[in-house]
Amino acid sequence: MKKLEVAPLEPITDSNAVRLACCGDSEAFSYLYEQNVKRIYNYIYYRIGSEEDAEDLTARVFHRAFAHINNYVEKGVPFTAWLYRIAHNLTANWYRDKHRRLEVSLDDHIELPHLGELPERTIEINQEKELLLKAIRRLPADRQELLLLKFLENLSNGQIAVIMGRTEGAIKSLYHRSLISLREELKLVSGNDTMNHL
Amino acid sequence: MEYGMEQNGKHSLWRLEERLSRLLEPVTPDPEFVDSLKFKLTRTPAVLLENGRRKLGLIAVGIGLFTGAFLVWLLRRRSD
Repeated sequence: MKKLEVAPLEPITDSNAVRLACCGDSEAFSYLYEQNVKRIYNYIYYRIGSEEDAEDLTARVFHRAFAHINNYVEKGVPFTAWLYRIAHNLTANWYRDKHRRLEVSLDDHIELPHLGELPERTIEINQEKELLLKAIRRLPADRQELLLLKFLENLSNGQIAVIMGRTEGAIKSLYHRSLISLREELKLVSGNDTMNHL
Repeated sequence: MEYGMEQNGKHSLWRLEERLSRLLEPVTPDPEFVDSLKFKLTRTPAVLLENGRRKLGLIAVGIGLFTGAFLVWLLRRRSD
């Protein structure tokens, strides 16, 4: 009786998953999706502040990525970085289409996740977070992207440089400028909020 | 004096970094959304279905036009 020949199990990585996904392997698609869906959702959610729109844009990112996965191979950047670039472009289109970039009202409601804290503490943290997010969303898109990649994903300047297609030095300098602008925006937003409560 | 202002500026940026680390924490997307998107991405060939429907529509219109023209031709021939 002839024995069945079984291929040795290869540890799955982004690069071989992409290779398999290019051949239409649905397991490879699942792997790439599961590895990245939460981070892409988070990135978009913090950029636009709405769960519903974040879900819609996350779906579009993955549909676009999987439809054009053959283009990815030629670019030579990590798969996650490629997804972030798609997410960044779609978020920019979303702002352009909705004309929201400059029209984010200071009174806009931002959906915040519920934290496992006491109610008073939760309200306090949510208010602080709301102010911070309002200030972040007033920054230019590249500064928002940098701050989210740094503080949500805890990525290094080198990794952020790959995602944003810049040098590490440029990212370091942009990071410093972003913090200074954020500090200014926070002053403005906090001032306006105080005025609104009077 | 200038040194003091510079130190204050640096200190406020450190505090801002601390605030960002503390408040920007990952959120969990709705598991139902995550599962349904995974299903759509790995199972449904949506584009092919759409193309197939369009082709079917064109074929149906074509057959309709051909039948109509044939009937007109047949009726005219009889009346002659």
